[in-house]
Amino acid sequence: MDKVVACGTCGLVQEVDGEVPLGAVVKCARCNFQIFHRRVDSGSRTLAFSLAAGILYFPSNLYPIVTAEYQGQSVQTTIFQGISSLWHDGQYFIGGLVFCTSLFTPALKILGLIFITLTLNWPRFKKTRAWIYKIIRIIDPWNMLEVFLLAICVSMVEMGEVATVHPGRGVFSFAAVVVLTLCGTLTFDSRLLWDSAAERKKYE
Amino acid sequence: MSDQSHSLPRAKIQKDALSLFFWALPVAAAIMCGWFLLHDFVLAGPSITIYFKDAQGLQVQNSMVKYRGVEIGTVESLELAHHGQDVAVRASLHRSAADVARQGSIFWIVRPELKVGAISGLQTIVSGSYVAVQPGAGGPTNVFNGSTEEPPPPIPGISITLLSDDLGAIEPQSDILYRGLKVGSVLNYRLDDNARYIVVNARIMQEYAPLVRVDSEFWNAGGINAHLGLFSGLNITAESAQTLVAGGLAFATPEKYGAPATNGAVFFINNKEDKTWDDWNPIIPLNTQPESKKTKNEWPQLNAQ
Ligand SMILES: [Zn+2]
Repeated sequence: MDKVVACGTCGLVQEVDGEVPLGAVVKCARCNFQIFHRRVDSGSRTLAFSLAAGILYFPSNLYPIVTAEYQGQSVQTTIFQGISSLWHDGQYFIGGLVFCTSLFTPALKILGLIFITLTLNWPRFKKTRAWIYKIIRIIDPWNMLEVFLLAICVSMVEMGEVATVHPGRGVFSFAAVVVLTLCGTLTFDSRLLWDSAAERKKYE
Repeated sequence: MSDQSHSLPRAKIQKDALSLFFWALPVAAAIMCGWFLLHDFVLAGPSITIYFKDAQGLQVQNSMVKYRGVEIGTVESLELAHHGQDVAVRASLHRSAADVARQGSIFWIVRPELKVGAISGLQTIVSGSYVAVQPGAGGPTNVFNGSTEEPPPPIPGISITLLSDDLGAIEPQSDILYRGLKVGSVLNYRLDDNARYIVVNARIMQEYAPLVRVDSEFWNAGGINAHLGLFSGLNITAESAQTLVAGGLAFATPEKYGAPATNGAVFFINNKEDKTWDDWNPIIPLNTQPESKKTKNEWPQLNAQ
């Protein structure tokens, strides 16, 4: 780190005394916020979040979101079953929208983030990374996992009036995927996309 | 430069403990997935296949396998087998009920049924049909031939065989009456190998087993026995309202009775009651046992897992 730095939060110019050891952070003398050139540990944290989200993506889609029990009959529904029943009912637009926003774009985003963070050390992929990041930025507003999760919760409460509704394993995984992808984007510092390995070392 | 920097405040340098925490997330996710897989494949109960002639009323994923009224498994798939001769019902059992998957277990489908004399499976009208099981005692197996009807509960008692010229109104579950009291029931019937008799298998409850003696007389108590006599007028007899519609059998034992009937004893069914049997008033001690002892072990016990 440079010897003299300015706090990004409060603007206080201050001196960093000596080398900052690995795994340590620099905090502002006045406001106690962290001072960084690049978001600290951004690459590996985003990778950790994306990997965790990618792993949980499978149970969230394979296991039922809800189990509704009504008069001794139990009906289990996965996200995909919900979408295909919308499709069969002729609700192509809603079905397609739910498919894109809750199945397709999250998968794309998770895979994209994993690719970007894994290839940070290869300048060869600089162009691809930028390209993928553009796609992620485009699909991000369409990534309406949270909305879908809310819809599930509302319908669970509604159904609770007529049937006994148990949350399935899928819904916990799904909620975890929502939170993890959110954190993955938050921790990612887009400046890493064009940083060379030498620059990254310098800013650590 | 160095003079100037000394007048600036010092930034704090702290250890960042969070770094490792982030990598705990994918590890936790992997552990969670592993636990799901373990739960589904390693700790899951056995998967069994039952062949039924007719699986009407069963629904994939919805229909349950029940034992003693408790869900012990779910129907996973229904498909035709043996060139369309049977329906293969594949069901996954809970681990706690794995012991049901053994030879001698009898599976049948419970549907709402309305027949003369009895309404059964009433709860299935709203809850849908389900597969019921009566566990056997043999070795473990995964393939079963489903029964078309509910097997008689293994109540302790003696089995007797009754031969009749005519089936009359006898049905499975028909009552066997002693002095008008139900002491047993008909299990099933068939034509004997030479087509000479109707062979009726029946069961007498343990408690009343001593009433059946080798010289007991059985008669058909079902239906209305109408006898139009020239001097007596119309004579109508029926053993009970239940047997009037559902058919039934009655028996009497002489006052100087013989040895108690053993399992598999054979009797003939008389077409009607003899007047003199009415006057038989034997005194026979019953197998009266404490209630708890009587019902104990009536069903095969499942080994606790
Ligand atoms: Zn500050």
